[in-house]
Amino acid sequence: MTDLPSAPAPAVRFERATVAYDGTPALEEITLEIPAGALVGVIGPNGSGKTTFLKAILGLTPPVQGRIFVGEECCHHLKRIRREIGYVPQASQVDPNAPFRVLDVVLMGLYPGLGPLRRPGREGRRKALAALEAVGMEGFALRPAGQLSGGQLQRVAIARALVRDPRILLLDEPFTGLDVRSQHAVLDLVVRTHRERRLTTVLVTHDVNLVYPYLDRVLALNRRVYAYGPPQEALVRETLERMYGAEVQVHEAGGRPFVFAGDHHHG
Amino acid sequence: MGEMFSYAFVQRALLASLLVGTACSLVGVFVVLRGLAFIGAGIAHAAFGGVALGFLLGWNPLVTAVGFCVATAGAIHATSQAGRIRMDASIGIFYALTMALGILFVGLMKTYDARLYGYLFGNILSVTTTDLRIIAALTLAVAATVIVFFKEFQLLSFDPEVAEALGLPAGRYSFVMLVLVSLTIVLSLDAVGILLVFALIVTPASAAYQLTYDYRALFVLSVLFGNLSCFLGLVLSYGLDVPSGATIVLTATGLFFVCLALSPKRRGGRP
Repeated sequence: MTDLPSAPAPAVRFERATVAYDGTPALEEITLEIPAGALVGVIGPNGSGKTTFLKAILGLTPPVQGRIFVGEECCHHLKRIRREIGYVPQASQVDPNAPFRVLDVVLMGLYPGLGPLRRPGREGRRKALAALEAVGMEGFALRPAGQLSGGQLQRVAIARALVRDPRILLLDEPFTGLDVRSQHAVLDLVVRTHRERRLTTVLVTHDVNLVYPYLDRVLALNRRVYAYGPPQEALVRETLERMYGAEVQVHEAGGRPFVFAGDHHHG
Repeated sequence: MGEMFSYAFVQRALLASLLVGTACSLVGVFVVLRGLAFIGAGIAHAAFGGVALGFLLGWNPLVTAVGFCVATAGAIHATSQAGRIRMDASIGIFYALTMALGILFVGLMKTYDARLYGYLFGNILSVTTTDLRIIAALTLAVAATVIVFFKEFQLLSFDPEVAEALGLPAGRYSFVMLVLVSLTIVLSLDAVGILLVFALIVTPASAAYQLTYDYRALFVLSVLFGNLSCFLGLVLSYGLDVPSGATIVLTATGLFFVCLALSPKRRGGRP
C-alpha cells in the first residue's frame, strides 16, 4: 500500500454531483475526494455507473447538479485538462487486418493536444517508444495492433495513456477478457506505474479480490456511494449486500478478505 | 491509340478522371475503415435529388447537388446522433426521401433534359471547362481537408470512442468526414455518375486494404489504384467505344480482385 502525502490537495473532488443520461440519473449526489497519488478501486454491479464515474472525471458527462473538480478545474472547464488525464477505456476489439501499427496507436495519445496539421514528430516518437518500453512492449512497435493478444493490447492502451505524461490515470475494467496470467501482468504494470510515477490512479473493476491488496481506497458504487474508504472499512458484508442487492459473503483468508458477490462469478 | 490524347475533350476527360480518382480513393479509405459504405451510397442517391433540383430551378446542377448532399449528410448524422433510431434506419429514410424528391423534381420539369441521364451514368468525355474547374476546386478542397486533419481522422478511424475519450470532438469530425464523402460524390458525377460513383470510392481503398497494415501506405496505394482505374478505364472506353463510367468501375473491380488474390492478409500472413 502506498503512503499518501500528508496534506494533499485532492486530485479529484465530487460535490453532490448528479450525472444523468436522458433524464435518468446514472450517478446521484456523489460527494467524495480522491487524494493525489492514491490508487482507488471502483467496484459495483453491472450498470451501476462505474464507467460514468470515469467519464464524469474526464468531463465527457457533465453533472446536471453539483460540481466535479479535477485539480483546480471544474465543470465545463474539465475539457481543458482532459489532456492531463490518461484514460484506458474498456477493451474493444481491433480488426486483425486494420492498418494501425502499435506505435501509431500509442502516438494517438498525443494527437488531441496538437492542433490540426501538426504531427507528433521526432519528440513524439521518442515519447511513444519510451511509453512502450514502460509497458514492456518496445519490441512490438511496428506490429499491426490487430494482431496482438488481449493482454498485449491492454498494455498498448496503457502506453497510449502514459505517453501524455498524465497526472491522473483512469482504467475501465482493464482485466476483463484476459487470462489469469495476463490479468496479473496488467495488474503488476498498473501498480508499478502508480508507484513509480506517484500517479493518481482510478481503476474500475468487478474483480475486487484481484486488486484489493494494492488499493488505497475502495469506492463501492451503485448510482450512489455505498462505501468509500480503506479496503478493510469499505469491504463490509452488510454494505456490499445493500449495494449489490444480493447475498454477499466476505471470507477471511491469509489475513485479507475475499468477497463473493451474488451476481458475479468468482472462481 | 496515342493520338486520342491530342483532342482537347480527351485531355479534359483525362484530367477530370485523375482528379476524381484521387478524391474518391482518399475519401474511400475513411469509408472503408469507418464502415460508411451504406451512408455513402445513401448520399450518392441524394445527389440525384440535388441534380434534379438544379435542373428544375436552372441552377448549376453540381453546385446544387453539393448543398443537397451536405444537407442530407447533416440530417442523417443529426438523426442518428440524437440516438432515437439506428444509423442504418436513418440512412434508409433519407435515401428514399431524396430519391423521391429527385423523381418529383424531374416530374415538375416542363421538358426532359438529356443531361440528367448523363449524371445517372456518367459521361466523362463530355466534361466542359466549367465542369473541370468545379471538379478541380472540389478535389483540392477534399485533399486539403484530408491533409489538415490527417491525424484527427486517423484517430477517428481507429475508434471513435477512444478518440472522444482522448479529447477529440469525434461527432464533429465524423460530420466533416460525411461532408467529404458528399463533396467527393458530387465531383465524381460527370465521370462515373450517381449509380456507379460509390464503386469508385469503395473499390480502390478496399484493394489497398488487402495489401498493407500501414495507415499512410493505405492512402498512397488507394490513390494509386484509383488513378490507375480511371486512366485505364478511360483509355479502354475510348478504344473500345464503350461507356466510360462502367469501364472505370469494371477496371477498379478487376484491380480489387487481383489485390485480393495477392493479399498477405488473406493467407493470414504477417507484414
